[in-house]
Amino acid sequence: MPYKVRQTVEAEGEAMQPVAVTPAPPGGGPSDLELMRGLQAEDAEALSQLYDRYSGILKALILRVLHNETEADDLLQEIFMEIWRQAKNFSAQKGKPLGWMVTLARRRAIDALRKKQAYSRAEERLQMETEQQPEAWVHNSTQEEIVLGDTRVLVRDVISRLPPPQQQAVELAFFQGMSQREIAAHTNTPLGTVKTRLELGLKKIYDGLKELKDEL
Amino acid sequence: MSFKEFQNCARLYVIGALDPEEMTEFENARKEFGQKGEDYIGECYALHEAFALSLQPAKASNAIKDQLMTMVRERAQSTPGAPPPD
Repeated sequence: MPYKVRQTVEAEGEAMQPVAVTPAPPGGGPSDLELMRGLQAEDAEALSQLYDRYSGILKALILRVLHNETEADDLLQEIFMEIWRQAKNFSAQKGKPLGWMVTLARRRAIDALRKKQAYSRAEERLQMETEQQPEAWVHNSTQEEIVLGDTRVLVRDVISRLPPPQQQAVELAFFQGMSQREIAAHTNTPLGTVKTRLELGLKKIYDGLKELKDEL
Repeated sequence: MSFKEFQNCARLYVIGALDPEEMTEFENARKEFGQKGEDYIGECYALHEAFALSLQPAKASNAIKDQLMTMVRERAQSTPGAPPPD
């Protein structure tokens, strides 16, 4: 049964005008904000719809950090339980629901990565992937994705235009939770160079998102 | 620290890439810039959403969802009547 709450709550999310670029729900279903309100009212159906809408994105994020399907499934379940429990702490004035969920999922995934005994093996795999597929972060878009939202494709385009060293620095910081000093050691690059790469890369992505938001 | 430098640091801060010695200076600047600084940090969290959207969505398991929904419904039944936060 589709979730039917129809409140005019979107305006609350506009107070700060975050640069968020969430695709619109396909088929005109309830907005993310309406589903978050449902979670806050302890409506399990709202969680079910959020899972259907974003489990793929969150799992991809977890997989990017952990590189293990089983662990990713387990953590995905834990993360949605935490979303359910923590929904009351979500504030539309501080950002969009997807941003909040991604922040939560990333933190949990990086925590899990740091606890893993096999951390070094994951690092090796990441390094191999980076060396063998420097463009791995950016994928060709399928028709299904385009239907889901051109936004996703546009975001990838913004990131794909970064020079590979900047992509790598941003990737290590975001998906592996490394500090600038750790990235410098990991890539055997001077710290000042890493700082510059990260600053430039993040600024380009941020500016690209602002342009996207203006276009949408 | 100028506001432009603060903006650079804020983008690093939201992805956890500031080194410890930079954190102190950033936190001082954060106090100095007040609400304007907090608003900018809030905007920077949109980077998280963008990075997630840049990935090819993975196939999420229906079994995981079934287990999740069972746990949630059991939890809801064991703690009925709690008023929703406003």
